[in-house]
Amino acid sequence: MSDNPFPLSRDELLNIYQTMRTIREFEERVHVEFSRGDIPGFVHLYAGEEASATGIMTHLRKDDRISSTHRGHGHCIAKGVDVKGMMAEIFGKKTGVCGGKGGSMHIADLDKGMMGANGILGAGAPLACGAALAAKYRDKGDIAISFVGDGASNQGTFLESLNLASIWNLPVVFVVENNGYAEATSVDWAVACDSYVDRASGFGMPGVTVDGTDFFAVYEAAGEIIRRAREGGGPSLLECKMIRFFGHFEGDAQTYRAEGEVDDIRAKRDCLKSFSKTVTAAGVLSQADLETCDTDVLSLIEEAVSTAKAAELPTEADLLTDVYVNY
Amino acid sequence: MANPVSARDIRRVIANATSLQVSDRANIVMCVLAAVRACGVKRVLMMPENGGIRSLLKRGLQREQKLCDNRFPELEMTDTQISGTVDDTFAATQAMVDSGVKAIVVLGGDGTHRAVAKVCGQVPIAGISTGTNNAFPEHREPTITGLAVGLAATGRIPESVAFTLNKLLCVKINDGERSDIALVDVVVSTERYIGARALWRTDNLREIFVTFADPEVIGMSAIAGLLEPVSRNDFGGLHVLLDDPEVTENLLQVPIAPGLISTVGVQSWQKLEPGIPFTLRQSSGIIALDGERELEFGPEDTVQVTLYEKAFRTVNVGACMRHTGQHRLLVGAPLELLAT
Repeated sequence: MSDNPFPLSRDELLNIYQTMRTIREFEERVHVEFSRGDIPGFVHLYAGEEASATGIMTHLRKDDRISSTHRGHGHCIAKGVDVKGMMAEIFGKKTGVCGGKGGSMHIADLDKGMMGANGILGAGAPLACGAALAAKYRDKGDIAISFVGDGASNQGTFLESLNLASIWNLPVVFVVENNGYAEATSVDWAVACDSYVDRASGFGMPGVTVDGTDFFAVYEAAGEIIRRAREGGGPSLLECKMIRFFGHFEGDAQTYRAEGEVDDIRAKRDCLKSFSKTVTAAGVLSQADLETCDTDVLSLIEEAVSTAKAAELPTEADLLTDVYVNY
Repeated sequence: MANPVSARDIRRVIANATSLQVSDRANIVMCVLAAVRACGVKRVLMMPENGGIRSLLKRGLQREQKLCDNRFPELEMTDTQISGTVDDTFAATQAMVDSGVKAIVVLGGDGTHRAVAKVCGQVPIAGISTGTNNAFPEHREPTITGLAVGLAATGRIPESVAFTLNKLLCVKINDGERSDIALVDVVVSTERYIGARALWRTDNLREIFVTFADPEVIGMSAIAGLLEPVSRNDFGGLHVLLDDPEVTENLLQVPIAPGLISTVGVQSWQKLEPGIPFTLRQSSGIIALDGERELEFGPEDTVQVTLYEKAFRTVNVGACMRHTGQHRLLVGAPLELLAT
């Protein structure tokens, strides 16, 4: 019997840890840099939710496409967008992946299949349907993923996309990242049927709920759902129940959260800690492996911040570039 | 005890499992409430949850109050925290037991019933199936379950008729370092991680212990049921040794999930005597309890499975309703409300 109990090789598990750690350190550093006033615009941090993006994206191929949300840094990193380019973009610099003109909420990299974070709630779902329709015509087994938060899941665009995906039998997966709060409003007050699986059923597609803080639970469920989509089984919905470590946006006083709630979840429901514990307990990765990875990630983030800060701002002439695209 | 999130797992994708809507679960609770009130039950405790059942119930009961129908008992939520995990079930069950409830009605799958059974002690439970592969709760109209529970809880049916004693399986790792129970089946698989919990891959299965083996159910216990049926009331259970279907000629076709008939390799089976610990043959893997992967173990662990008779009580709905008909308990005017 193999000494590795997981359906992933040692190298794959190390890559997964590296991705999750990169997202975490990226967000923790953006949190610090934003508080210093160096970052323009708003930022919405993904820390605490790494298992969802990574568990899903581990199954994706280069030509699969994703549409993201306003809380999109984790999706970008897990889909392979350049971390230094992302940091420069958030700092509004010319070397950013969108030339410094998009900022945190509009990071996109089509070469990586990342169709964009999106400042408009629910706007990514129709884009994913479009990508899925194209993939269906090309017939190479590519799929699209639409990430959406629990708040945006109430938007008409999202519900219309579920309908469209179902009637056209599109290879698309709708991932509802349910972190419990739509900005400051609990899902208990904002979601009529309280169950996203029920919503999926209403549109004739299967839905699955999974613990979004457990990488292996997400990975397994996403694998079956994505395989179903690639094989022509049509759309599905995956609800990842998760927790965000920071507020809705940086600067959010989070008065809607119970005292000690964040400390408690950081201590008990940290997906990185549970992943580390699981893989080291199984003896597949050592603590030294993880610490080496941590050091590499911290160096990367440090370099990303220093190069972003040193980079030039876009010029007035840049305002009129990238406005139209020729097909 | 109504679980809002049962029947939400991966079997909706890998098989053709259905998912009962939250509004349907609320309707089931309304049916049970109306039925127990008709039997004279004045007050009911319920587990609070944020899955939607409570808010739909509130709406329904407020409407009934406006109509002044008095068809429903007082409904009170247990003073327990909501975490959205199985801990809510443990805490609410304990609160109900502490409050002296006469019976606990459970809406959920085998896993939900298992969680209640871990805590409820000698308080009888009545199961209503709202899960995926439900071997433990019987499939029945919830209004009838409510009537049986109401009549039993108000003492209108003798305990010897109303309640049944059930078997359960206890799993102990390293003499109780870790332990858990199962109401229907303990399954040993060569898979070695918990993942999305639900168990459906059959080529990795190596051992099954069951309290009863019903050929009319789906899931892991169906493997035993299709080899040698053992009823809930029979003495003992069944222990089945399995093999990789690729390496054995003794194959069995089993309905492992809704619409999913899988091939299982069978090595041998034997009666499972109560009270005798069985040590697992497999040296490492995972243990699924009532269909969900729960415990990991390795070569350094000693795992023992023991069947216990008369471990916890359930409401015998069929016997209750036969007694009700034979003794004409519902003939005449509506039953009087009891003090509590």
